[in-house]
Amino acid sequence: MSSHREAPEISKDPVADSTDVYAFVSPDKPDTVTLIANYIPLESPAGGPNFYEFGDDVLYEIHIDNNGDGRADISYQFRFQTTVRDPDTFLYNTGPIESLGSPNWNRVQTYSVSVNGRSLGSGLASPPCNIGPLSTPDYASLAAAAVHSLGGGISVFAGQRAEAFYVDLGAIFDLGDLRPFEDLHATFGLPKLPKAAGVNATNHVNVHSIALQVPISAVTRSGHPTIGVWTTANRQRVTLWDADRGENVNSGPFRQVSRLGNPLINEVVIALGDKDRWNSLPPADDKQFAHYVTQPGLAALLPVLYPGVFPNLEALVKSGKPRADLEAILMTGIPAGIIKGFTNFTGSVVADMLRLNTSIKPAKSPNIFGLLGGDPAGFPNGRRIADDVVAIELRAIAGVTYPLIDPKFKPDGAAGLLTDGLTPASVSASPLGQFPYLGVPYSGYSTPS
Amino acid sequence: MPRHDTQSSPAEGVSRRSVIRGAATAGAAGLAVTALGGALSPAAAAASTRAPARAAAPAAAQAGGEPKDTGGPIVVHVRNAKSGDIEVFSGTSQTRLRDKDLAARIARAIG
Repeated sequence: MSSHREAPEISKDPVADSTDVYAFVSPDKPDTVTLIANYIPLESPAGGPNFYEFGDDVLYEIHIDNNGDGRADISYQFRFQTTVRDPDTFLYNTGPIESLGSPNWNRVQTYSVSVNGRSLGSGLASPPCNIGPLSTPDYASLAAAAVHSLGGGISVFAGQRAEAFYVDLGAIFDLGDLRPFEDLHATFGLPKLPKAAGVNATNHVNVHSIALQVPISAVTRSGHPTIGVWTTANRQRVTLWDADRGENVNSGPFRQVSRLGNPLINEVVIALGDKDRWNSLPPADDKQFAHYVTQPGLAALLPVLYPGVFPNLEALVKSGKPRADLEAILMTGIPAGIIKGFTNFTGSVVADMLRLNTSIKPAKSPNIFGLLGGDPAGFPNGRRIADDVVAIELRAIAGVTYPLIDPKFKPDGAAGLLTDGLTPASVSASPLGQFPYLGVPYSGYSTPS
Repeated sequence: MPRHDTQSSPAEGVSRRSVIRGAATAGAAGLAVTALGGALSPAAAAASTRAPARAAAPAAAQAGGEPKDTGGPIVVHVRNAKSGDIEVFSGTSQTRLRDKDLAARIARAIG
């Protein structure tokens, strides 16, 4: 997954587990950027009676680096507060929830937003989860009412949304199987598998999203249109189970427990022994992890898993040459002069951030392969909702982007075709045409478990 | 000489004195549980949570005055009883103490 359950420690703490980050110039408001951080992986829509919610004990943040040092210059912080109106019922709601002020809604969550310590708003309503036609009869309108204006041209939304990331988890985590190519898989001496269409394992699940729409002028420095974006979740250092009261007591300063910038980095690039530590550090400290990017394990695995399919990649791996192409794409941004008319370079500091050149206008006909598909408004220039980041990163790691630094290198024919067989059409919930863009969450009533 | 080092401490600083006082309040439970970790059976741990309160009460009196209201529990983590390496948590603040005497008293308090 992009970053769902990607590290041992955070996989045990879903409310603090960041799953995806998106950053793009808003297609319907091109003088703004939209920043989205998703949390709580793989929410089963029917997961009641205590439906999913943000952690009151978690400090959520969306960071922006606008001077290329891998440290946050702007940090938006979000804190949540849950109120139980009637503790004497087991019900999440005691009747239809037709407005955010409905007295039928029993477990209400509100939140505050600040930027660099300055309050932007408090008591902001987060919508309930999408339960079903009796409890949340017009969910789309209910959630739309939870888009708040914070002044200064900033809009915010925090609440449940449909998962937009599409990936064939079941196959990929089965020893790197890509169903469209599984007839070529080594299978370790086991019977061959016939090639098949991809299966979107993240279809029909929800996440909890924190979405901001901010004027570009508020997050960039004059003359420097590229920003680095990432999210973090933080917990206080002490959590103590108060057995007398039946609840946790938290104490001490907040410390980072989850981080996410580019998709799939901690998931499939960083090795198991470093994943938890990676989650605790800022992007500025990423130089120590750079070897995972410049010598990616997945590049070495592909020729093994698919024998004979990637001879040129195999030779490149054996040469030991560092993958400067991947370092540029993921850790520094792509310098000017490499791709005609494009750069999202932020400097020499090696840091995993989702880099977005905000001067590039939204594409009229977006290509889901982003920059690889000739569309500079998409990943790895930021990330849009529908970008096929699985295929883009697979292809890049397989060598498609290596000619950017070595024109003599010829990528294997299969490298440019790699996919898990999914497209945005593999996601049942359609994205919205406006902020917060992510689709209406699946309801528990209508979604098979 | 005891030494302390406060980190990320907005308004609520925690001193050695407030630790001793706080041990007499709700934080005493955290003190025992954190210090012992998994070393005790649940029954023994439950019993031990009462001991520090009794032991710390004289300490509070010794330090003088009523305990400061920290607005929440004070949690003490004795990282190393022999060296006196202690962390104290309250609100969103954290203080690192190096106090062999205090660590020894806490260790004695939990039996």
